[in-house]
Formats: sequence, C-alpha cells, structure tokens
Amino acid sequence: MIALVRAEWTKLFTTRVWIGLLLGACVLAGGFSVLFTALAGADTDGGPGIPPVGNPEYEELVFSVGAQANILLLILGIIGMTQEYRHRTATPTFLATPRRHRVVTAKLLAYGLVAVPFALVVLAVNVLVVMIHAGARGDAPSLGGDNLRTLASSVLVLVVFAIIGVGVGALLRNQVGAIVGSLVYLFVVEAILSAIGAVRDVYKWLPGGAVQSITSDFETPGLLEAWQGGLVLLGYGLLAALLGTLLAVRRDIV
Amino acid sequence: MRGLTKSFGAVRAVTDLGFTVEPGSVTGFLGPNGAGKTTTLRMVLGLIGPDAGTATFDGVPYAALADPIRTVGAVLETAFHPARSGRNHLRVYCRAAGLPVERADEVLRQVGLADAGGRRAGSYSLGMRQRLALATALLGDPGVLVLDEPANGLDPEGIQWLRGFLRHLAHDQGRTVLVSSHLLSEVEQTVDRVVIVGAGRLVREGSMADLRAGADGAGTVLVRSPEVARLAELLRADGVPLTLDGASLTVTGRTTDEIGARAFAAGVELHELRSRTSGLEEIYFQLTAGQGQFAAPAPGTAAPLGGAR
Repeated sequence: MIALVRAEWTKLFTTRVWIGLLLGACVLAGGFSVLFTALAGADTDGGPGIPPVGNPEYEELVFSVGAQANILLLILGIIGMTQEYRHRTATPTFLATPRRHRVVTAKLLAYGLVAVPFALVVLAVNVLVVMIHAGARGDAPSLGGDNLRTLASSVLVLVVFAIIGVGVGALLRNQVGAIVGSLVYLFVVEAILSAIGAVRDVYKWLPGGAVQSITSDFETPGLLEAWQGGLVLLGYGLLAALLGTLLAVRRDIV
Repeated sequence: MRGLTKSFGAVRAVTDLGFTVEPGSVTGFLGPNGAGKTTTLRMVLGLIGPDAGTATFDGVPYAALADPIRTVGAVLETAFHPARSGRNHLRVYCRAAGLPVERADEVLRQVGLADAGGRRAGSYSLGMRQRLALATALLGDPGVLVLDEPANGLDPEGIQWLRGFLRHLAHDQGRTVLVSSHLLSEVEQTVDRVVIVGAGRLVREGSMADLRAGADGAGTVLVRSPEVARLAELLRADGVPLTLDGASLTVTGRTTDEIGARAFAAGVELHELRSRTSGLEEIYFQLTAGQGQFAAPAPGTAAPLGGAR
C-alpha cells in the first residue's frame, strides 16, 4: 500500500495541476484575509458588519477563511481520481493493481496526507497576511487559544475535502461532471437549504452545515459539535469512495 | 482461455471463444476490425468482466496474480496523461509495482525512446506512443506479453523494428507473445501460430506453417501475354477459374510455377507472370469475409454504430 500511495504522489507531482490549485487556494485565503481586515469595524449603516480588529469575533472570522479554500482541495481530489478516466491511464493503473479497491484506498490516503502540507501553506499565507494587515491597523491577533483552534479546524476541513474529492471522483468518474456537480451542490443547493428555516435540522447533517460546525468556535444554535461535524464530513468522503468502488470503479475499462 | 463471452447491450462482442497460447512463441491474434479482439484481450487482463468463461495465465486469473507487472506486460492503450513526461509515466508504474525507478530509463532505451523520455507525452507521435506503451509493458520484465495492434501508427521502419523486437523477445528470450492485428500481412513474418476470429467467434487456430500449406496456390496470379486468348483457352480446358481482361488474365488457384509451365509447354509467349495476392491473404479474407462487427449484427437488431466503445 505504501508503494501505491507513493505512485499516487508521483502522478500528482509530475503534472502541474497541484501548483495551480495551491496558488489558487493561497490567493483565496490571502485575498479574503485582506478584505475582511480592511472592512473590519467599518460602518455598514446599521447592517451586520465585520467586528473591529482586536475583537475575538473578527479573529475567528478572519482565521477561518482558510477553510473557504476547501473547494480547491475538493477539486484536487476529484482530479486525482477522475484523471485516470479522462486521460485513459485507468488501463495501466488497473493492470498494475488489478484489485481496484486498493487504488481507491491509496488515493484516499495519498490525497488526505498531501492535503496536510497544502493546508499548512494556505494557513501560513492566511496568518501572515492577517498579522501584517491587522498589525498595521493596530491590533495583531495572538496565535493561541481560540485562534489556534480555529486554524486547526481549517486544516481539518481542507484535508477532509481532499478525501471527499477522491470519493466523489470515484463515484462519478466524469471529471467535468464531478467538479460542476460539486460546485452546484455546494453553492446552489446548500445555499438554498441553509436559508430555509424549516430544514435546519437536516442542514446540520449536510456538508455545509458540518463545515460551519467545525469552523465556528461560538455555539451556533442548530449545528453539530465540531468533532461531530468532522466525523460527518469524513463519513461523506468515505461513503462516496465506498459506493464509487462498488458501483463505478469496478465497471469495465473499455 | 475458455468459453469467453461478452455482450455490450444488444451487441454480442465475443461468443464462447477459447484458445491456448503456447509458451516461447509469437501467436498472432487476427480478425477484422470489430471482431472482438480488443474486448477479448481486455477480458484476459481483467479490465472487462466476461459474461461467461475464464482466462488464466498458467491457471491463475490476471486479477489473482501475485505480481501482475512482473508476470504479464500489456500494450492496450496509446493514451497517456498529456502533461506528464514519458519517463515520469514509467516511474509512476515502477512505484506502483515496487520496481526501482531506474527501470524507466532502461525500458526507454530498449524501445529507442531514450532521448524523448523527458518530453511531455502529449507531444509524442503515435509511433512514439506505441513505443512508450511497449516500454510500460516491459517494466516488470514479464514472461508473457499481450499486445493489441502494436503496429498501428508505426512507420515502415518502425514496423520492421517491431517485428525484429517481438521475434527477439520470443525466440531469443523465451517470452510468450500474443499480438493482435487486423492485417495478416503485418504479422505474417513474425508469428509462429495464428488464432483467427470473426464476429467474436474462433474461425481458425493453428501454426503458421499449417496455414501456409493450406494456402499454397490459393492466391491469384496475373498473366500478360500477346497470345492471351490462346492461353485462356488452354487453362479453361484444364478447368482453371480465370477472368480475361484485355491483354491480361487473372487466374485463381494456381501458382505462378504451374501457369508458367503450362504456357511454356504450349509455346505461349509471356510478358508478365506474377502473383497478385498471396494465398495466405486470400485464405484470411475468405475466413473472415463478412464477419466484421457491422457485417454481422445480432439476430433481430440493426447494427448499432460504435456500440462497442
């Protein structure tokens, strides 16, 4: 299994997809750090604004932007799985490893592990930008207690989304379909569901609700505990991978 | 390989197909396009699940082989990740099979791609892709090689090289080689045995020598002569099938030697005497005529376009 995980890493780092996605994630994290810090404490004509620099709620918000890059880690996982079909390398891959579930398992491990340094780079950008910008505005946040917990939960979200990506890719096999489908789900379906009060009980069990439960330190009514949210997310990833292995990956490679 | 059967929807791709490949020889797996060759090879390698039947290597199905890459090498696909270099492609499968990554450079040299190893596979010509696919098959130094249309996209020089390479792998190194082709002439000089399929069924299995023996004199011969009408009369009197076309004759079922002797005995002047199609080609054509996928739809259904892929 170690050999197969290393083979997956070789596949990942011998094309340049990872550079683009990592840069994208860093730009996203850095950009939102600047935006939120710039708008912190701004007058919003009585509407809900961003709390001022130095306020713990501002710090929680600005240190959870790393988790917003979860989309890019999701895409990384999806591409990692679906490129085998897109570029027809599934043939040599399954010739080398005829027991195909081992390939899926290796990809789950490889992408879960590689997501850790990726997440640390994204958060380093996040922290660096916030320290400099908020410091310039008079109050650089401390890196302890709640803030550290927020950052750690962002790492968890990013890692789990890479695993979910592999699972979704195994289930759907079609790269464009898997990416578009995931984006539509996360940004359209869940956005609508989260806005409907009546399905609040269901929403907390969905990926979006689970992410919120992990990244928000403050008790939010109607959400799971952070550890429960993490398990729910991981469960979605592994369930998709299991269904994908049973239903899609076993299909004929013609 | 016994009783292999596979349908795609309503299309019967392979029906009750069984044959054995002898160790240490090159076996040609022949049939027209759509006869089920690729489907058969993919079933043998566990990529397609057969509806019925089994295929084994020394009694073991591919998926149950302890070390598939070191046992069987396969060339099925000329598609690669376009952005990954040929060398890195090979290194991926070195790692997956637990081989040292140096094997990548060794097999690149073996197939003559040493200089192109660092280039993106997307920039390779079809001939280079065939060589890279062959290099992938050789990574584990396997005793059995399965090659699906490996000559596709090779230039004449490349085909010449491939013939020599396959003979070298089988006869000098004792490997078992199964190579598919839709052209008999392409593999005629390379293979020791042939398995011919048409419409997913076995049509003929045997040694190349047997096929040649049966093919002697089965070809067509072209004769040109100023006395073509007299020669035609003589041959017709012998009951030889022929067609007369101006100053030339096309004769079926006789060798050039026989016709030359007949003309000489009768004092007929010949300006040209040559065999137009070899008996082997003629026999192969007769065996597989009308047996392509689209010529033989399943009973009661129209032939679907591209149904097998």
